[in-house]
Amino acid sequence: MNIIRLFNLTLFLLTAAVPLALALGYALLYSLGATGVLNEGITLVNWYKTLINNNLWQSIGYSIYIAFITMIIAIGLALWAVVRHGNVFRSGYTAFLIYLPLTLPATVMGFYSFQLLAKSGLLSRLAFQVGLLHDLAYFPILINDLWGVGIIFTHICMATPFFIILFTNLYHNENLKDFIALAQTLGAKASQVTWQIIIPVLLQKSFATLVLYFVFIMSSYEIPLLLGSQSRQMISVFTIEKLQRFNLQDIPQAYAISVLYGLLLIILIINLLGRSK
Amino acid sequence: MRKYFFNIILSILILLPFLVLTVLSFGRNWTHPSVLPATFTFDNWRTLLLTQSDLSQSVALSLFISISISALVTLLSFFTSKFISFSRWRRRWLLIAYFPYVFPPVILAACVQYYFLRLGWAGSTGGVMLAQLFITYPFGIIIFTSFWNERLHNMEQLVATLGGNTWQTYTRVLLPMAKGALLVCFFQTFLISWFEYGLTRLIGVGKVQTLTLKVFQYVNEANIFYAALASILLAMPPILLLWINKKFVFVKFN
Amino acid sequence: MFLEINDLHKKFGAENVLSDLNLQLGERQMLSILGRSGCGKTTLLKIIAGLEQSDGGIIKIAGKVMNEVSAHQRNIVYMYQEPLLFPHLNVFDNVAFGLRLRKMLRATIEARVSEMLDALELSEQARKMPHQLSGGQRQRVAFGRALIINPQVLLLDEPFGALDTETRQAMQVLLIRIMQTHPITAIFVTHDLKEAIIMGDRIGIMEKGKLAIFPDKKTFIAQNEYVKKEINFWQNL
Repeated sequence: MNIIRLFNLTLFLLTAAVPLALALGYALLYSLGATGVLNEGITLVNWYKTLINNNLWQSIGYSIYIAFITMIIAIGLALWAVVRHGNVFRSGYTAFLIYLPLTLPATVMGFYSFQLLAKSGLLSRLAFQVGLLHDLAYFPILINDLWGVGIIFTHICMATPFFIILFTNLYHNENLKDFIALAQTLGAKASQVTWQIIIPVLLQKSFATLVLYFVFIMSSYEIPLLLGSQSRQMISVFTIEKLQRFNLQDIPQAYAISVLYGLLLIILIINLLGRSK
Repeated sequence: MRKYFFNIILSILILLPFLVLTVLSFGRNWTHPSVLPATFTFDNWRTLLLTQSDLSQSVALSLFISISISALVTLLSFFTSKFISFSRWRRRWLLIAYFPYVFPPVILAACVQYYFLRLGWAGSTGGVMLAQLFITYPFGIIIFTSFWNERLHNMEQLVATLGGNTWQTYTRVLLPMAKGALLVCFFQTFLISWFEYGLTRLIGVGKVQTLTLKVFQYVNEANIFYAALASILLAMPPILLLWINKKFVFVKFN
Repeated sequence: MFLEINDLHKKFGAENVLSDLNLQLGERQMLSILGRSGCGKTTLLKIIAGLEQSDGGIIKIAGKVMNEVSAHQRNIVYMYQEPLLFPHLNVFDNVAFGLRLRKMLRATIEARVSEMLDALELSEQARKMPHQLSGGQRQRVAFGRALIINPQVLLLDEPFGALDTETRQAMQVLLIRIMQTHPITAIFVTHDLKEAIIMGDRIGIMEKGKLAIFPDKKTFIAQNEYVKKEINFWQNL
């Protein structure tokens, strides 16, 4: 048994920890100029350039903005749906239906949003047919736009069903019914029960999951690649694009960003795992 | 009344993407401002699945990669997670598992691509599978950690005192009890592998054309009818899994 | 003596969980051990069962040293406070579990399990799954599962701890009756004074890793502080 254990844990280290360490190690060396095409000898120039690069901070800020707006709207919608129409997701065909959006990957969802929201998309056609729109030029820019409407819309489409399922499960697993009954015997009105029991308990119990989801949106790649604008890029797209540009000076900086982002995530996970003891 | 209204709106919102994709997959000549394509035809399906064989090849390749990965990961992580859960260093091990889980796969791929190129593994199906293992294996472990609790540990000891050896303990108690978790792990890792785009593209350097990459390619070529068709193919296995059993398929992030 | 333990000791870090523990128990005797939670009784039982290693000391059963024998070959059953029935097996299969591990003939298994279920008044529940049973029924299945393999020693770690008072009394009566038909060497750990007296042929008290065993029940009743307090309480009522 000990041999199996040793083999197993070693394999895990080799496929999970080692590649990541190698990846970040390579990125670090490259960003320090110790390896790579230019290989100018160890220097902090690239890190300096990276850290004072406005585009990087703008990209991080933009990623946070997208994740934040998406989370607020998706959580709001999901809470409203579960609190107001909770039973819908427990039984009947809708209980099955709510899982369906999870069968569509980001790439497909992005493609769908494009067909729906683009200037010549389905919405604009429908608006045309009912007489709301007479000239394509008047249809708002919702795709590849500066404010990331298309990206946010797509992420909301993916996140809301997931949160609805998450909250529905928590609602029934966490003995919430007992708490609600208790609060009622203590004299709470319906709105007080909602705002002081149901919503806080659901948010608290799902906190770690919600934080992880926030990071997933921040790091998302396919959706901003399809629907983002050229001048404002989310962090994954920004990094990959810098790596694949013809300007060789950009590559060490892209690796520096990867290391930086990796460090941020490490700190986040340590905190998150520390909380959920 | 309000409930019906809510259900109808909900159903429309959820089914609309599937409807749009299906209609487009049979469409041709979709000019503004008409709501539906001018012609409907089976040609897209016939061309892509029968005449041009590369899409069917992509489907086969994707199925092969994803099924192998999820079977392997399910098997491995079942045992690994057990050792981790009952280890004195449980939290440290979990930290190691969580890190690849949250790290953006595409950036991971960009950073390990160098090694794959040097070793000659880039651009091969095996290389892509190895890279997918990097992100699915930790995920499998995270899925199983809630399964290996104190109660199960006691049960394992109980079997020993009743006279069961290790083999019997696994085959008669642990594996039957883990059926749900095993299914969840298989389905979830299948989906991660099946949907993966950035990592597969970078490690496969364009040579390993999975179905997800195909969708992207058609989208970039602005061939919306083919993109819609490939999207439907992409959604089919997950829908099938969902139909088999929804409660086992999607419990992401818990 | 059938079960003999000499100088057993065990440390967790700096803490002495068991220190120089000695114990002798005759065949087919039941020893009750009284002790609060955290006194080391669970550790003692787990070491006897082979589920944990001691730091030193010898455990003998019928003259044979057991220290190096692995748990699944000791034929000592350790019963948890929780019944821990296998959720994927019905009552019959749960009880039959140990016999199937020993690859006994199907007919033998059928006969012995049916007999055991009869003795435990569980015949009608044979096809039920664990989640369909009451707390007392589950604990009875757990007993059946343990007793049917004729263990050399049965270790009971607060087996009635999770039951309500009435079920608890019924279970005590039932267990004593079964022990008469299936006599077995057993150690019964409890924190309930009355239960210790009812169940045990002999009684021991465990405190801070040390075990004191009384020669017989009379001495225990005469010498023990708790017993005196209890008697006083009822007399002064």
